Amino acid sequence: MNQEEKLKLAKQSMQISGIFSLVVAALLLINFAQLKKYEPLESETLKALVEQLEDDPRNEQLKEEIRHFDLMVRKAYFTSERQVKTGAFLLLFGVIIFAASLKIFTDIKHKIGMPDPDSEVFLKARRNAWQWLFVTGVVLFGLAFTAAIFTTNYLETYLPGELATIDEPTGNDEIRIIEIRDNTTDIAVVEEESVDTEGGEGESESESVRPAVEKAPETIYGEADFRKHHNTFRGPMGLGVSYHKNIPTSWDGSAGTNVLWKVALSKPGYNSPVIWGDRLFLAGGDQQARIVSCYDRHSGQLLWEKQVDNIPASPTKMPDVTDDTGLSAPTMAVDGYRVFAIFATGDVIAFDLDGNRVWVRNLGVPQNHYGHSSSLMVWNNKLIIQYDTGRGGRMMALNTTSGETEWDVKRDNRISWASPILIETDGKVQVVTNTDPNVAGHDVETGEELWKVAVMMGEVGPSCAYSDGLVYANNEYASLVAINPEPGAEVQWENYDYLSEAASPVAKDGLLYLATSYGVFVCYDTKTGEQIWEEDFGATLYSSPMLVDGKIYIMDNSGVMHIMKADRSGTIINEPALGEHSYAIPAFAQGRIYIRGENSLYCIGK
Amino acid sequence: MIKQLHKPTLFLLMIFMFVAMSAQQRFPKPEFESGYEQPDTTTPEPRAAALEFFDVLVLLGVLSLATFLVIKRRSRRGILWLSIFTLIYFGFYRNGCICPVGSVQNVTLALFDPAYKISITVLLFFLLPLVFALFYGRTFCAAACPLGAIQDLVIIKPVAVSSWVRKTISFIPHVYLGLAVLFAATKTDFIICRYDPFVGIFRMDAPYTMIVLGGAFLLLGMFFARPYCRGFCPYGVLLSWMSRFSRKHMTITPSECISCKLCEDSCPFDAIEVPPTEKVRTGSTVRKFLRQYTLFGILVPVWIVLGGWAVSKSHVFLSKAHPDVYLSELLIKHPELKADEENLDIQAFLESGKSMDQLVEEASLIRMKFKKGGWFLGGYLGLVLGIMIMNQFILRKHDDYVPHKGDCFSCGRCMNYCPVDKKY
Repeated sequence: MNQEEKLKLAKQSMQISGIFSLVVAALLLINFAQLKKYEPLESETLKALVEQLEDDPRNEQLKEEIRHFDLMVRKAYFTSERQVKTGAFLLLFGVIIFAASLKIFTDIKHKIGMPDPDSEVFLKARRNAWQWLFVTGVVLFGLAFTAAIFTTNYLETYLPGELATIDEPTGNDEIRIIEIRDNTTDIAVVEEESVDTEGGEGESESESVRPAVEKAPETIYGEADFRKHHNTFRGPMGLGVSYHKNIPTSWDGSAGTNVLWKVALSKPGYNSPVIWGDRLFLAGGDQQARIVSCYDRHSGQLLWEKQVDNIPASPTKMPDVTDDTGLSAPTMAVDGYRVFAIFATGDVIAFDLDGNRVWVRNLGVPQNHYGHSSSLMVWNNKLIIQYDTGRGGRMMALNTTSGETEWDVKRDNRISWASPILIETDGKVQVVTNTDPNVAGHDVETGEELWKVAVMMGEVGPSCAYSDGLVYANNEYASLVAINPEPGAEVQWENYDYLSEAASPVAKDGLLYLATSYGVFVCYDTKTGEQIWEEDFGATLYSSPMLVDGKIYIMDNSGVMHIMKADRSGTIINEPALGEHSYAIPAFAQGRIYIRGENSLYCIGK
Repeated sequence: MIKQLHKPTLFLLMIFMFVAMSAQQRFPKPEFESGYEQPDTTTPEPRAAALEFFDVLVLLGVLSLATFLVIKRRSRRGILWLSIFTLIYFGFYRNGCICPVGSVQNVTLALFDPAYKISITVLLFFLLPLVFALFYGRTFCAAACPLGAIQDLVIIKPVAVSSWVRKTISFIPHVYLGLAVLFAATKTDFIICRYDPFVGIFRMDAPYTMIVLGGAFLLLGMFFARPYCRGFCPYGVLLSWMSRFSRKHMTITPSECISCKLCEDSCPFDAIEVPPTEKVRTGSTVRKFLRQYTLFGILVPVWIVLGGWAVSKSHVFLSKAHPDVYLSELLIKHPELKADEENLDIQAFLESGKSMDQLVEEASLIRMKFKKGGWFLGGYLGLVLGIMIMNQFILRKHDDYVPHKGDCFSCGRCMNYCPVDKKY
């Protein structure tokens, strides 16, 4: 083969391999793009199925379907990947042939060049070189100067202590960011919002800042005032006792008997209704949004519904919570001027009673494998928060008008799902909590721990009860104990027979009532701890009993309210059904019962 | 011979590239539990000290052999095979680390941070090529640098570029070196290593962008020979300085140059200095050059001050590369990111127990270092620019075709073009 033939062959080979390589490269790019686009775990269908499974975790057929689909997309992925690999080898082959052909071609074509005798070329090259270097220098330093002009030095704008919240103890469940508005007692800056009386779901509302308005000093409401309302979890002070009268004992939710009104709820939640005056408040939340709703408790009209959003430091991704706890398990609290809500995101929000946002905080996402469920409590301008999480125990009080921290106490206990209660002993109000391992009392004004007894264990769900100078605490697989709530506190008696998992006990007039999750409702003597009677309802009891009007109201999960005489007889008065599942604790006001069903809110009355 | 070698080496190279690229297509772990236990993450043990010294010995051996092959044997074939050995040993076997190119940063950090101890082997890796360059030219680039070797093997059809383009491009390594020193001195980053385009290929595992960058350099290198060496290599700046003083640099001709001009376009790196023609050396041109040389000589201090001032002014921008400065500004701008659990930098800071005030204070100190360092970096770049411009008005008196001692990689290609027999 002579040089001409070699040259021709190299040229043809170069052309063919070049085109071949280009085509393969283009196909590879397309394939690669597809591969990127259809990543198995990014499959929308798969995601939808997984979401379905989250709603229905025991659906074996769905699981099988997901496995099958998952296998399919993985197979498709690997097939596509094999195609990319094969294509890459083909491309490699093409490039090698092309490069070799090009090399042979250029070597054959190569001729020793003739030096350029033109001095002008030399001089021009030198001229161009210095000119370009000059330009390069000017451009480079010009760019540096431009960067200097257009770069903001944020460090200079920082004032020491400006972001002290960042320095607060690390951990997911710690306080992160605070956005507090100007908030002295007599000066309140609130945002004006148009009140939504239409009850539209998830509507975005325009907000504008209203100039500061002077207000008269607020009256601090106490226990006597709270008794007129139903302002917190399990009623006033969280003790499970309501002081309203003429509460109905019969209704039929399905038939509408004694149902004064019923409204559909826009968001799920396990929190219970709270009431102040004519207004009833509920919270709800799902992956899409968290809301606080206010109803006219007489008519059931939705007065306002606000989204809990735009909260600094609030997580963009919702924490993992279980379906039986959800994102909105804690019950809200009302202090007569503001209503407060907390969510599993760690967001705490305060609205005034007209739905204007007053302040927000994020306490950090609580590390809680079920979801945060400790309800709020209010006392003397303080919002009490039990924040016992996987990272340790913590109690805090926020100023109800500003959201600022009043006190913040770390505790040596583990995570807890119970809620605080307020008790008054020797003229002093305590916050009493039930945790693993401590049942403890704190001074509500300072947060100081007054006493504790390490007696509890496990995943503590039930809150405490209080009556006749004794605190009663229990938890499943632990014990039921009575403790004298004072320095040097000790267990006065204990009982292991029946223990509750989620429901909190209630005590009054020498009797203690306790609901087990497996359906047995028990009455104990508060002085001795001896069992007086028991009644097996044969239904799961997660809701807590409420003692009102000389009767005990305890709702089972199926929606049947078991009404019994609050005495030593254990007499069942009635067992009216709501017609849907219910897990919340009923609220009482002026002869009416307000019950949160799974999907609806009911007002029962005569 | 070169043609014969190109095919297998190119093939090997492509294979490595392909494997490296395909290694990026990783598959996420299945979500369903299967009982399979993920193995614990393990950290490889550091290389034994004896083996580190062995690497130094290998480097010394390769440098010595390269120098012998270039200066004494004048063997292009030998250089080629030696560079293949380097590519395999320092590149694919030692994964491109340690290498003298990156060691610039270790030395810099050791100079600026008393707490940072540099090992003797790293220091030797940094110094040995410079010492050899000082006496024998850039024989390290010829056969002892894996980065150079991988590029050298893919040169297929080098295109000659205008000298002004080359001169302008040759300024970039100074910028890169200056930034690398500034960043290392301020403990910001080892940018030479971070942006090493070939280490991903050597390790056959790297982010996709890194592989693409390396592949792009190799593709470009088929036509613009050794693009990284000529346009970026910061260590090449130091080698170039050393090599200019070398007394026994490689020569094109083994004896006296007969000015046959056969070698003129033999260098793929355009590193052969062509003797100026008589017409260029005329009195008017010389006088003009002298005037301009003087003028631009006077301007050198202006360049230094201008460069120092401009780069120093940009210290706010440059210092953003430092992780502490970046983090502190990020938290100042977006304090809500404290809750971002996926931001590992923020979470690590929160876990450290350091206060925000401390972080900002430290960041401010670092920024001040950048301001000071900016003066040195800008001044240095201004000086280099000034001298490079001045150099354009120097007419070196030589009648022979000689390699440019600063730019020549001592690869020995030009030697094969010289028809003059070696005198014994």
